[in-house]
Amino acid sequence: MVDDDALRAWFATEVLPFERELMRFISRHSRQSEDAIDIRQESYERALTGARGGLPLSARRYVFTVARNVLIDRARRARVVSFEQIADLESIATEEDTFSPDHQFEARDELRRAMAGLEQLPPRCREVVRLRRVEGLSIRETAARLGVGEHTVERQLTLGLRALVDFMHGGEGRIDRTRRGPSKHRKVER
Amino acid sequence: MSRAREIEQTAASWLVRREQPDWSAEQDAALQRWIAESMEHRAAFWRLEIGWAATERLAAMRAPERPERRRVPWLAPAFAIAASLLIVCSFAILVLGGNGTKPPEMVQIATAIGGRKQVDLPDGSQITLNTASTMRASVADGRRRVWLDRGEAFFDVAHVEKRPFTVFAGDSKVTVLGTKFSIRRDGDTTIVTVAQGRVRVEDLEADDDQRATVITAGDRIVARGTSTLVAKQSSQWVEDSLSWRRGVLTFDQVALEDAVREFNRYNKRQIRIRDPQAAAIRIGGSFDARDIDAFARLLRTAFGLRVTSNEDTITIIS
Repeated sequence: MVDDDALRAWFATEVLPFERELMRFISRHSRQSEDAIDIRQESYERALTGARGGLPLSARRYVFTVARNVLIDRARRARVVSFEQIADLESIATEEDTFSPDHQFEARDELRRAMAGLEQLPPRCREVVRLRRVEGLSIRETAARLGVGEHTVERQLTLGLRALVDFMHGGEGRIDRTRRGPSKHRKVER
Repeated sequence: MSRAREIEQTAASWLVRREQPDWSAEQDAALQRWIAESMEHRAAFWRLEIGWAATERLAAMRAPERPERRRVPWLAPAFAIAASLLIVCSFAILVLGGNGTKPPEMVQIATAIGGRKQVDLPDGSQITLNTASTMRASVADGRRRVWLDRGEAFFDVAHVEKRPFTVFAGDSKVTVLGTKFSIRRDGDTTIVTVAQGRVRVEDLEADDDQRATVITAGDRIVARGTSTLVAKQSSQWVEDSLSWRRGVLTFDQVALEDAVREFNRYNKRQIRIRDPQAAAIRIGGSFDARDIDAFARLLRTAFGLRVTSNEDTITIIS
């Protein structure tokens, strides 16, 4: 049994570097009404659960196979999908997505990337994240400095963190403005 | 909001709140419970935590400080060490107050795989952080508190009368006055080994004092969920188990699979064993934790095992 620390380390070094590629794969093969983020997270969840019994030799191939299975399962569950579509999914060779090293970011590029990610956040959100990450201010100090409520700062910071992390993992780093509430299917964003 | 987005939002709130100065042990325990609740939670939290850690270098853009805005003295040494460690390609974030009016409450230090870091606290205590570990320290209101969020650390605690030093590690709370001990977290298991002095270990989940155990030099306590096991070890054993502080792994008649598991904590390049019989071989000796090639050579020459290696894996075939 692989412990959580090892599992997390594997996830960090072997799985997450392929997130950009994985999202492209998911977007290409999922139906429009489906949320690529849901599929990605379900794939991560299943991959981690599976890897707990022993880390796979090729993380990339493994995760893409898991994602393919998630797509097939979802297509099966959606009754309106024709058998042809499922057959299409089943014929996807995950290997065809060739390894693209430019999507793996070198540690030395991290600062440049983080700066670019910060730069493209909306102004208010950017300032809150900047005060936290660059200046090291707490929520309370940020609220005092900007003259806004702590609740507002916390919300901006949470949204900004998610967007910046998405950017760091190769995504577009857009703010997710969907509010909590009844689940609504959205168009894939990428 | 879709389920995945909702979980991501919750994970992000935890992450944001964890960095705040008023973060408490209770909150930390609640976070650990939330993470442990499901693999969905772990996937979301880890993804954010790892990506957020990658933005730590942004702190390097901070404008140089004016002299009159000096940081509160007690954190200065830790800051200096952290700053120098940044250069040696590890990362450290300091969660500090930005203006000099309020004392900074919390310092956070982390190591990457294979990393090791020493932190000097102003009370004279010294903490050595082992590979792939994260900890936070806070000295405020006459209390000295440390949270070991993951990994392993050795504590050399300076004796300060009436000022207990407390470490929170998972469900365990370790309290000392002045002593030397190590704590290692391994999944839901917490292992405390005492090198010198006395240490009090409590189960945070328990609502009375019945669950507190006091252990002394040479003792090792293994806490997992509600069960705790105390074992008396030789001083040699304790010393061996702490040799990582010199970057060395010491084994005495340890199963190869357990030794390999240790090596794998320190290296991105992982060793795997295909043969269960080979996994059970007992080995001993001292090794450089980062030099897995030397270890593999030894297995080949001294034990006659068949070993293949490539860029990211060393495989012990038979």
